[in-house]
Amino acid sequence: MIRIKQLTKTYGAKRALDGLDLTLGAGVTGLLGPNGAGKTTLLRCLATTLAPDGGAVDAFGLDPADREQRTTLRRRLGYLPQNPGAYPHFTAFDLVDYVAILKELTDREHRHAEVRRVLAEVGLTDQAATKVRRLSGGMRQRLALAQALLGEPDLLILDEPTVGLDPEQRMVFRALVSRLGESRTVVLSTHQTEDVAALCERVVVMRDGRAVFDGTPGELAAVADGRVWLSDTPPATSELFWRTADGRYRTLGAPPPSADPTAPGVEDGYLMLLGEAA
Amino acid sequence: MTSWHIPDDLRGSYLEGTLEPALAMSVDAHLDRCAECRAAVPYDKDWLEASWARLETKLVTPRPGLSERFLWHVGVPDHLARLLSATPTMSRAWLAAVVAVLAFAVLAAREQAEFLPAFLIAAPVLPLAGIALAYGPRVDPVHELVAATPMSGPRLLLARATAVLTVSVVLAGIASPLLPAPPGMSAAWLLPALAAGAGCLALSNRLPVPIAALAVGGVWLAIVGAGRLFGDWPAVFGPAPQIGYAAAALLLIYRFHRLSTR
Repeated sequence: MIRIKQLTKTYGAKRALDGLDLTLGAGVTGLLGPNGAGKTTLLRCLATTLAPDGGAVDAFGLDPADREQRTTLRRRLGYLPQNPGAYPHFTAFDLVDYVAILKELTDREHRHAEVRRVLAEVGLTDQAATKVRRLSGGMRQRLALAQALLGEPDLLILDEPTVGLDPEQRMVFRALVSRLGESRTVVLSTHQTEDVAALCERVVVMRDGRAVFDGTPGELAAVADGRVWLSDTPPATSELFWRTADGRYRTLGAPPPSADPTAPGVEDGYLMLLGEAA
Repeated sequence: MTSWHIPDDLRGSYLEGTLEPALAMSVDAHLDRCAECRAAVPYDKDWLEASWARLETKLVTPRPGLSERFLWHVGVPDHLARLLSATPTMSRAWLAAVVAVLAFAVLAAREQAEFLPAFLIAAPVLPLAGIALAYGPRVDPVHELVAATPMSGPRLLLARATAVLTVSVVLAGIASPLLPAPPGMSAAWLLPALAAGAGCLALSNRLPVPIAALAVGGVWLAIVGAGRLFGDWPAVFGPAPQIGYAAAALLLIYRFHRLSTR
């Protein structure tokens, strides 16, 4: 269980986290929000790579503000940063092996077995000997995910994990993360509402450093109940609408009496919740 | 498809390894094609999987570099050798130390007596440049990944800084006898160098490493500047200050070591 209390973080005049309160349990939790909402700052605080200015984090009874407890917590977490970086001259195996050493897997045989396991998990066994600079963007993203899986962490923090993945890779990723979420706490941030709808038991929408919604994907979709409608002509008002593949107009907003209502999705609820800020 | 199968006696000799090479190759070729005969060959699944895993690792792991193999030979554990030698940041730090000391050695070999003060003043701060390049978000492209691991922070910095200090001190030690100065004087930089390195590590608990290195370098230059101001710059390398440098180095190393091993 992870408890976040009154967490604040300020960059100059910008308040990235503004007294955030949140509790995260086992399973997959998705963080949604526009750019600058504070998702990455929150994940960096959870991953112990960024110290908050105020408030507290309690992760499995450990306080990251304490040096010893922070080290203990780091032994139990896997982290995929938004910009993981890479050593281009390393092979895929080398890079994961290097992180494995930093995760204190010092026994060579055991470490190499673990590296092979995580590379297999993300489908990169055949690219193990390939230099990182020769990997595609999607493969690099999977490689970064592989290192996060080392040591089967209790807490998995994934910042924009599906960026750069093609549809097939995203399906594989969803299968992997949903399996991981059965036995551990997974927190992921994304702009992809489809990923949230497909993966997450719980979704938290952030704006201006605060949680403005906390519930299931179904509950988020329900925010737009009765506010999504179809028409054959563009709506007269300046509401948010687009032309769908079948030539009709799908509009999000107050429906006119003649509107043809349709079921909202997670994206509709998210857009409705954030309005133009999204 | 074949109706012929390996007779029991032939299979027995094959498994014992007593067949002539040509016949053994022929049995190999048949086993490749015949699932029935393959099924009759007993094998140890665990052994086979472990062997395959070792072979796979051999195939995908590139040959370690020169520095990594050197560290193995001098008894550094394999994971630590990898940690110290594999990253570009460490390569740069080591390279900086090597280039600086070699430059000193070349200049010293030209027997320019006036070069001694510059050497003594610069040698203690040389390792600081190496330490500044050894750790941090500005110098390490995967720092964000590294920072979330249990080895990050003081432990990793201590390992890398120790490597940088060792290389720098050994190389500067090789260069100092080339200087046109009494042996005691040409080695007078050693304790200030250790104190500066230790000071940089201790300060890194509160400041980013490059800033800590700059701050300590500034303090050292201020000490030397004060000596020059009072007209006797070699006094900062005298016996009493040397005791002070040694005490400071020990204290700072102890303090940093306690923090890094928590």
